[in-house]
Amino acid sequence: MIDTDISTPHDAPWRAAYNKAGIAPELNPPTHASLAALVHEACSRYAQSAPKQAAFTCVVPNGMNGSLRFAEVDALSDAFAGYLRGVLGLQAGDRVAVQLPNCLAYPVVAFGVFKAGCVLVNTNPLYTEKEMAHQLKDAGAQALVIIDMFADKLPAVLQATGLKHVVLADVTAFFPAVPRAVVRSVQKVWSRVLPPITVPHVRLAPALKRGAATLSQTPARRYWEGVGPGDLAALQYTGGTTGVSKGAMLTHSNLLHNVNQMLAMGATHMSQGQECVLTALPLYHIFAFTANLLGFLVIGARNVLVPSPRPVQNLQRAIENNPITWMTGVNTLYNGLLNEEWFLAYPPKQLKASIAGGTALHQAVAERWRQVTQTPIAEGYGLTETSPVVSFNPLSGTPRNSSIGIPAPGTHVRLVNDAGDLVATDEPGEIHVKGPQVMQGYWGQAEETAKVLQDGWLATGDIAVMDREGFLRIVDRKKDMVLVSGFNVYPNEVEDAIAQMPSVLEVAVIGIPDDTTGEAVRAYVVPNPDHAGDVSAEEVVAHCKKQLTAYKVPRQVIVRDELPKSPIGKVLRKELRAEALAELGAPRS
Amino acid sequence: MVTEFETKLLGFMMMIIMLGMGASLTWRDFLIAFRRPKGVIIGLVCQYGIMPALGFALAQVLGLPPAIAVGLILMGCMPGGTTSNIFTYFSKAVLALSIMMTSASTLVALGMVPATLAFYSGLAGYEGDYTIPAANVAQVLVVLLVPTIIGMVLRKVNPNVGATLELFGGIMGIAVILFLVVTWIPRNHQLLLDTPLNVYLGAIGLGLVGMALGYALARLLKQDPNRSRTIALETGIQNGPLAILIVTISISGPRQQDVLLIPVLYSLFIVISSSIVTVFFRRASEREALARDRAKVGVVASFGATAPGP
Repeated sequence: MIDTDISTPHDAPWRAAYNKAGIAPELNPPTHASLAALVHEACSRYAQSAPKQAAFTCVVPNGMNGSLRFAEVDALSDAFAGYLRGVLGLQAGDRVAVQLPNCLAYPVVAFGVFKAGCVLVNTNPLYTEKEMAHQLKDAGAQALVIIDMFADKLPAVLQATGLKHVVLADVTAFFPAVPRAVVRSVQKVWSRVLPPITVPHVRLAPALKRGAATLSQTPARRYWEGVGPGDLAALQYTGGTTGVSKGAMLTHSNLLHNVNQMLAMGATHMSQGQECVLTALPLYHIFAFTANLLGFLVIGARNVLVPSPRPVQNLQRAIENNPITWMTGVNTLYNGLLNEEWFLAYPPKQLKASIAGGTALHQAVAERWRQVTQTPIAEGYGLTETSPVVSFNPLSGTPRNSSIGIPAPGTHVRLVNDAGDLVATDEPGEIHVKGPQVMQGYWGQAEETAKVLQDGWLATGDIAVMDREGFLRIVDRKKDMVLVSGFNVYPNEVEDAIAQMPSVLEVAVIGIPDDTTGEAVRAYVVPNPDHAGDVSAEEVVAHCKKQLTAYKVPRQVIVRDELPKSPIGKVLRKELRAEALAELGAPRS
Repeated sequence: MVTEFETKLLGFMMMIIMLGMGASLTWRDFLIAFRRPKGVIIGLVCQYGIMPALGFALAQVLGLPPAIAVGLILMGCMPGGTTSNIFTYFSKAVLALSIMMTSASTLVALGMVPATLAFYSGLAGYEGDYTIPAANVAQVLVVLLVPTIIGMVLRKVNPNVGATLELFGGIMGIAVILFLVVTWIPRNHQLLLDTPLNVYLGAIGLGLVGMALGYALARLLKQDPNRSRTIALETGIQNGPLAILIVTISISGPRQQDVLLIPVLYSLFIVISSSIVTVFFRRASEREALARDRAKVGVVASFGATAPGP
């Protein structure tokens, strides 16, 4: 696995684009054998060169904040490794589930898991008991680090999984005493979000203390020295589109390579030790995990963690009080910010660049973002299965709208039709990816793995076209395509058209069964509250008629207050489809 | 009826409250509010248009004697109280709007309070003993602007200190009322028993009718129900402690007791009436949120089959 080919193919049409954008065509191989070594080396280096600089700052909505410096992150994560191995007696390769929102405990715990030589199982804090139990059981987790706000799910989960070790963390971990006390009492008395805890557990602070005490006997380094690039680093669960949640097996090599791929694409707009990145997306999601947590640590950036970006208002103090130079986000986050008065009046002055992933960045949002912030925003593309970066738009040069960019250095990409043949330039085909960032398979799911992974090529289920210069454009998820009288309609295209209307805040498009045309296009629109006057279905249709061919124009337009979204803010068309089918009472396979 | 020491303590508490209010703000918030000033303007109209007129009208309708009526008019002319922010929070209404309205009305209080007070006192024909000198009012407000600005600076320098002060300011707003309950009521229970019904009606009515009018105006100007509820609370809830402070500084002797009656009663009853209103507002907010969730399908518009194009 380690000797994966990381060269950029010679005949790759996107080589010229690398040159034009100042991107090194060949990928730097990782300089460390494991993430633990990488984290430790980066932390000690910046602890020397910038001893007073905060590595991580967590900002809660009222502006209260706490910070950890590089040296502290290094020492505390050592202590957590000591706790896992020296106190709990876990072994290398044991799985540790981490169920935390963005907070200072997250880097300490995640890096501690790597330093212990254990495998990180990122778990969504908002999971239900059933989802938690499924994931922990499937991963065979030996220990769980969970945010105390959701500890009420523990009795049922522990009973279902037999999990023994529970560590409780809280959002204000490592905050100064007074703000910590204030936030805790507000949580407890006012918002009542701290449930009573009825299961045996240990709090993070005493766990770290006990762990640190073991380090004099066995330094943390001892635990990670044996860890190599081919060892498993993380099980990253993905719902996939098939429903069953599967754990993508990501090795140290996968993540180390992808960090370098991400940095290669952003290098033109990054300076070592000079950046301050806003981390509003959850770190348990692969995008923020690789890009923000790992990538920006490597370049010595300060990481501003926001526990919950919803409502978007929660970001105001984080953005006002910190000199944000970089942002990562998804379409809904950028769109949300562009609809906040405080953001429009004072967009972050020091901002250099932003990247968008997770879901399609609407053209209207991208253009407005550039206009408001006067900085580039580039859309990238990736999957949990690819650690996640596959392709990115170069940050310099003329922005290309609705493109997901060119493959990252060291990545092989091909587009394949249903018959398995390569398609011609500008023809749609399924994206297949091969590269050092491609996962080893799904944990314990040989059959599922075989469906998507063949000869090192990962079938993504996304349909795209590639132009002459190697720029990819997603036309849609294979599963989301709408077939109107035999014509393919890609929801993204229709959404893009509707999103241009100033009276529309958000939009989602799905296909619904139709007696005459097989399927018909249905659009859900959320009116923009700041726009004078309501949005009517007729207006949406009239607008689409001007922009789209007749068969792509929505047959039905439904105005609603909200769209169902995933934890990172992806609009869930799947749920809309289920709703629509239930409403229409028409079973469909 | 209020000792020298109590006046000083009240002044000190007011300082803390204003420090907390300053700490809830940044200059940016202000500048932003005035870029799109509709909400703030509605708030100011409610605060200095509706409320002083309402105070005056209630005094006339209820036939209050001048000494007591002047307290009611003063109460009507006060800027918004910081406790409105707490009630807005509990009502699940729009907190940012509430904070902005309180701050905006406090900032323009320097000019508006003396002006409205003089106008309505003049209209009622009160002279001499029963007037509160505009200069006094302005003086108190200037003094209170100092902690407000210090609060804003602290917020900017250290967000942790700022946010802590903000919270303490809010708690102090309630503490002042409790302080009144504990110190003032036991000494004046006979007065409370002797107070005629129309005085109570004035004290309670100012808050409740103010909320109703604020809500009506907001709805009339096409604010959504949630923003309208915020504006209602903001309109009805006045800065009671500030009025008490101004009276104790401006008027001495036995007349003080009469003038102080409505501001004190108002301060006590506004907590009760706001709590009750909050229960209803909260239910309405939750009902609307639930309705949004349930409205999976809103306005459905179907269009005739569009023939697929080429």
